[in-house]
Amino acid sequence: MSALAAPFIGDHYRVTAPATVSHSVPSHPVPGPENFESIVDDYQRRLYGFALRMTGNREDAEEIVQDAFVRAYRALAKMDPQQRAELRLQPWLYTITLNVTRNRLRSKRPTNVALDSLADPDALLNETQEGPDQPEQIVDRAADMVLVEQALLQLPMHLRAAATLRFIEGRSHPEIAEILNQPIGTVKSHVHRAVRILRRILGPQVGRIAPSDRPASTEEEE
Amino acid sequence: MRCCDVERLWDEMREGVEPQREHVLAHLRGCPECQEIYRENEGIAYCLTCLPPVEPPLRMVGKILDHIKVAVKIVAPDSITTVDSPIGRLYVAFRHSGITAVALDRGEGDEAVLAKLQRRLGRGLIPSQAPQWVADTVARFFRTHQGDLEKVDISELTPFEQSALKAAAEIPPGEVRSYRWIAEKLGQPSAARAVGRAMARNPVPLLYPCHRVVDSSGALHQYAYGVDVKARILELEGYHPVRR
Repeated sequence: MSALAAPFIGDHYRVTAPATVSHSVPSHPVPGPENFESIVDDYQRRLYGFALRMTGNREDAEEIVQDAFVRAYRALAKMDPQQRAELRLQPWLYTITLNVTRNRLRSKRPTNVALDSLADPDALLNETQEGPDQPEQIVDRAADMVLVEQALLQLPMHLRAAATLRFIEGRSHPEIAEILNQPIGTVKSHVHRAVRILRRILGPQVGRIAPSDRPASTEEEE
Repeated sequence: MRCCDVERLWDEMREGVEPQREHVLAHLRGCPECQEIYRENEGIAYCLTCLPPVEPPLRMVGKILDHIKVAVKIVAPDSITTVDSPIGRLYVAFRHSGITAVALDRGEGDEAVLAKLQRRLGRGLIPSQAPQWVADTVARFFRTHQGDLEKVDISELTPFEQSALKAAAEIPPGEVRSYRWIAEKLGQPSAARAVGRAMARNPVPLLYPCHRVVDSSGALHQYAYGVDVKARILELEGYHPVRR
């Protein structure tokens, strides 16, 4: 049996969250217009990342995040102190970002596959510098990431949102349900359908992009 | 357990909390097709986690905050025009509710004056032709030395600034009063300095006659366009200040 088969035979079949994603919720006092600058500071990166994965376009992502923060500010300014105290800031900001994204994509053309890769070759280079990869492997790697990005962009928006939150951001089903304002069962079904479609699109390339000696989810197996 | 159910439970199995776990595992041990699907799904999940993190553009935070400032306070710009007067060319900003600012042309150039006024008003200014009522209001002031306050809008000033300017407007042309006089009139005799600040921040000089407010000694003290201009305006009104 190959190394890949191991995870579902043992008892510890768990996903390892990507190391680059941190879900720690910055501790804010009660959110409001007076501390909005630090809210922007804390969340702009992850909301931008989310919007970028959803649109495949840097300009769109930037404008979406700007618009989302403006809406959040206006909404916060209208809330009374109790509503602010009870607000779950992080999922709320994601929900707003997703709504802005939806509106924007709806009023725009049907989603284009991005022509220029979002995968920044420099970032990849930095990431892999210390590894054994040769330059040509890095180029291959960047090309592979473009394939993955393009496959993600081919999903219908609701499935793309589920897949992005689940696998790229490593969020739990209940967290995604809260952000998308959907029952958990719907979230699971969307994740499932997204993976099915991605499997169809990426098919034979998956084995190459995700080599059998990869780290990640087998790591926790003892 | 059927293959389609096993496939559907893949993501829950990764969470490690699936109650039917043992059944799924038993099925997997005997079903190479489902093993292959799980393997491929793991590959898909891995591919997605491999996408490099994205960095937002530099200065995005600043842009977002600017965006909020603009969007939250969307204020229609005022219009601005120029009107000739006995003391020189005047810039006059106005909106439908009245004249909002007056500035004397001191030769700094249109751009510099507009920039200063925009900062003072906190909104944009669009150059336009002087409507008749604006030209008439200015002309009437130099004819009668009385500002038509119906045609002036100071509603965006603080209540104290508004009261101080209204008190100043009660000083008859050809006469002067002290800062303290206004402070007393407002019922705040110790607020002479605050009155001074309100006069200094007067956006509509002439029409609200802050030039008629002087030191308690009678000295002209200060004026946005210089004490000489203050003296010239007072002379036009028939008051002859003591030159020191």
